Amino acid sequence: MSTFSFISETAWRCASCNKELHPRKVNVEYMGSVFNVELMVCPVCGFVLIPENLALGKMLEVEQLLEDK
Amino acid sequence: MEQQQLRKLEATCIQEESPQCSAACPIHIDVRAFMACLAGKDWRGARRVLDRTMPFADIVGRICDEPCRQACKRSEIGDPLAVHRLERFCVTTQPMVLRSPRLPAKGGSVAVIGSGLAAMTAALDLARKGRTAVMLTSDEQIGGSLRQYAEEMLPAQVLAVGVETLYSYGVILHFGCSLNQEFLATVRQDHDAVFLDRDCRGLATLAVDCTQPDPVTLAIGLDGCFAGGGSTANGFSVMKQVEDGRRAALSIERYLQKVSLTAQREREGVCPTRLFTQIAGIPPLSEVLPADPAAGYTAREAVAEAARCIQCECMECVKQCAFLQEFNDYPKRLVRKIYNNEAIVQGTRTANKMINSCMLCGQCTVICPHDFPLNTVCRTTRANMVASATMPPSAHEFALQDMEFSLGTFAALARHQPGRDSSRLLFFPGCQLAGSAPQTVEQTYLHLTRHLDGGVGLMLGCCGIPAHWSGRQELFHRTMQTLVAEVGRLGDPLIVTACSSCYTVFKEFAPQLTVQSLWQLLDKMELPANAAAPPQPMAIHDPCTVRHEPQIRASVRNIIKKIGISTEEHPYAGELTDCCGYGGLMQFANVPLGEKAARAKARRSECDGLAYCAMCRDNMAATGRRVAHLLDYLFPAASRQDPLLRPNPGFSGRHENRARLKQHLLTTLWQEEPPMNPAHKEIKLVIAPQLMELLDKRHILEDDIRKVIGQAEQSGRRLVDPENGHFLASYRPVRVTYWVEYQPGRQGFIVHNAYSHRMILPGEAK
Repeated sequence: MSTFSFISETAWRCASCNKELHPRKVNVEYMGSVFNVELMVCPVCGFVLIPENLALGKMLEVEQLLEDK
Repeated sequence: MEQQQLRKLEATCIQEESPQCSAACPIHIDVRAFMACLAGKDWRGARRVLDRTMPFADIVGRICDEPCRQACKRSEIGDPLAVHRLERFCVTTQPMVLRSPRLPAKGGSVAVIGSGLAAMTAALDLARKGRTAVMLTSDEQIGGSLRQYAEEMLPAQVLAVGVETLYSYGVILHFGCSLNQEFLATVRQDHDAVFLDRDCRGLATLAVDCTQPDPVTLAIGLDGCFAGGGSTANGFSVMKQVEDGRRAALSIERYLQKVSLTAQREREGVCPTRLFTQIAGIPPLSEVLPADPAAGYTAREAVAEAARCIQCECMECVKQCAFLQEFNDYPKRLVRKIYNNEAIVQGTRTANKMINSCMLCGQCTVICPHDFPLNTVCRTTRANMVASATMPPSAHEFALQDMEFSLGTFAALARHQPGRDSSRLLFFPGCQLAGSAPQTVEQTYLHLTRHLDGGVGLMLGCCGIPAHWSGRQELFHRTMQTLVAEVGRLGDPLIVTACSSCYTVFKEFAPQLTVQSLWQLLDKMELPANAAAPPQPMAIHDPCTVRHEPQIRASVRNIIKKIGISTEEHPYAGELTDCCGYGGLMQFANVPLGEKAARAKARRSECDGLAYCAMCRDNMAATGRRVAHLLDYLFPAASRQDPLLRPNPGFSGRHENRARLKQHLLTTLWQEEPPMNPAHKEIKLVIAPQLMELLDKRHILEDDIRKVIGQAEQSGRRLVDPENGHFLASYRPVRVTYWVEYQPGRQGFIVHNAYSHRMILPGEAK
């Protein structure tokens, strides 16, 4: 499975772990399709950041594509 | 959709029917395209149109007797197009652009007796098809009667070009033949088929009756022999020669192929057309006459005359509908796309968005000269999509959740009038009026209870139309059953609906219920004494659901008159009224298009707007239009706020209003304890108006935001931006993950942003 990377520097830190976010490959899923993507994640608790531009951009595009499949 | 149904639907839409001119042309020249090219100074394009269909365009273009001119739609309002003058301009100024190819020789030899235009056309058409064509004429030149035209009309040189054309396609020409009785016998022996051009000297000596060929095939009594052309009782028509030559060539081609001479020839020659073209409003411009009639049109004159062509088409539905305009198509093509979309097994269903964007309002059906039922097609298709699990989940989910809320503990209510145990009537304001103007619902209800006998019950809820529109048949029927049972529990009173959608749904799907529109009831009642009319004239915006309810529309107008509001009618009211974008849940499945539809409806009049559907009112208000609900004037708010300035409450506001209304009425009218709010309801939010508008478009409710913050504050799972102290948290209550950027403030949590996605992140419930 190919990995798409959506990592970018971010000012957000994990509030509960007090850690900077680091790139990590995670699986996201929709309509039965699983994608391995590289996102900014808290290295301790695994909190995954989905920034606004990703949610309303590429992610929405893929969601709609999968819904029409 | 079955293919048979598709064909039937496709045939209902007439946009692709021939324009009157082409239908009246015996060889169906695309006159409309010809005019468009000339008007755009595309000389080559214009000539190409002629070359494509007209044989010997240099000759025919000079002398065409333009049977299309009589049929021109412009003749209904003034002068028809000067088609012949334009053809002449074209062929005299622009040489041939398109030379039809000659197909490979395929055997079969055809004799063409005579050399008039019918013979020339038959010989040319057969030669193009790869047949051996032999022209046999007693004359020394070609042309027959065409040679009688004056030199300036049809120069001999141009006729000579016709001979060149025939030679170039391999036609064999024999001049000076002596026609006699043996001649035909010999010709029939030497050839497989024969065409006799009646525009031929000495044809009578052949002793064969050519006077009454079969009108469809032009066959005469002798096997393999066909006849046409020449003069008729109406005289000599150039286009009749061309038509007969072409018709005979086609018959001979079929004869040589040994297939039916008659099958499917209805569209040949002059034929009827069903194309409708609206000419009202088209200025009746006079025909452009050439300054020098002998020389014909100059380029400038030709452009001016061709520009008078109204480019006949129907497009009546598309002209009015925001949905059809958005997808830039007419029903015939859309229904084909819908059919193809349904047929896809693996691959992308590209028409889903379109199917879910129709307002299902039926305006196009009323406008259509043949009542194309696009709304039924789209709605049925949605039901099929739901049944086959191909409906995109995101299209209607938000609207269906809104419906669920209206039917749920915090918003729904069904009671007899306080202090009574039976109801003669049951007021059903509908979910959207309760969401838009709860105080008006209360005032209206109190008015009904004060002025009507026998008890007026109240039912807050939803008629289920969102489920119907979204194709959720099962959910819709379940909702309707529950509602019918609830009405039954109250003793089957007469239901009084404020919302016309509820009214039509009950009438169509619950015939066991008795229903009346609030407007018809109020029309017969004493109106509130404090009803206040604004001084300025207003434009009535009928909702799309009263399209077929003239009595409700009449009652509304009576009430408006009684309370002294002056109105200005506009054409897109009544039967032709637009949908505001809520219909068919368009505004949910296609947010930007929903806004366009609301704007289109709002723009129908310059006057302030007067609606009597809560969604029409709110959607138009959201576009910035000054628009009020009729109930706002019948039952003025205690605050004296101008109803024209009442803002769109948005989705969160409607939830809140419905819940507050139930709470308020339960406590004040029935002295009952309202249902307890869940814990997260206690969370106070501070949201700027612009952000609120954005959240509405993103289909994010304040309640969703409360859930995110509640969960983040409780668990501590959130991100922080150390620079500004903002938190960012996410939560997935069911099928959508909401993200909220916020910070604690003195008045409550200040919300800076919110967005959502449907993809499932690691650790989230599926």
